[in-house]
Amino acid sequence: MSGQTLTKAGIVDYLYEKTDKNRAEIKEMVETILEIMKQAVKNDHALLVSGFGKFEAYDKKARKGRNPQTNETITLPPRKVVVFRLSRKFRSELNP
Amino acid sequence: MNKSELIKALAEKKKLHVDDSTKIVSAFVDSIKEALVRGDRVEIRGFGSFKIKDYSGYTGRNPKTGDMVKVKPKKLPFFRPGKELKEFING
Repeated sequence: MSGQTLTKAGIVDYLYEKTDKNRAEIKEMVETILEIMKQAVKNDHALLVSGFGKFEAYDKKARKGRNPQTNETITLPPRKVVVFRLSRKFRSELNP
Repeated sequence: MNKSELIKALAEKKKLHVDDSTKIVSAFVDSIKEALVRGDRVEIRGFGSFKIKDYSGYTGRNPKTGDMVKVKPKKLPFFRPGKELKEFING
């Protein structure tokens, strides 16, 4: 394991090498892609990226929780959570 | 939404040709996949992070038949939504 981390800056560099756009344009496009992805997860509850995987938003019911420090019982509100399910293709690319 | 709809949405928002948009979205996805295949972490502020977990192989049993099966070691990516994404989804 190399211990490196890919961040937005690294993604911008990658796109810069692969396209004829300048960095400022690419940065904006990356932000736009992420914005569209967020909207899709929120509005459609699913975003399918073929060859990669699927982001799904599903509802979690309210449940009782406890603050372990104070032992107070609290009700955790119902909320949506996002999960990622990888595609078969990507799974086999990770495990050749 | 699927990938081609994502490509279309980007093309419309940024006034790009669909071919251009396809290239950009594909390269965006490839950059993340390649990093994960190398075993790197991916951290996208405002969206979330990915990290690969390594699972060692083990000898399991098929619960239906009782047969022994060898389960190979595998790598699986895990996604943790970022704070902003969580708040956005619940907003």
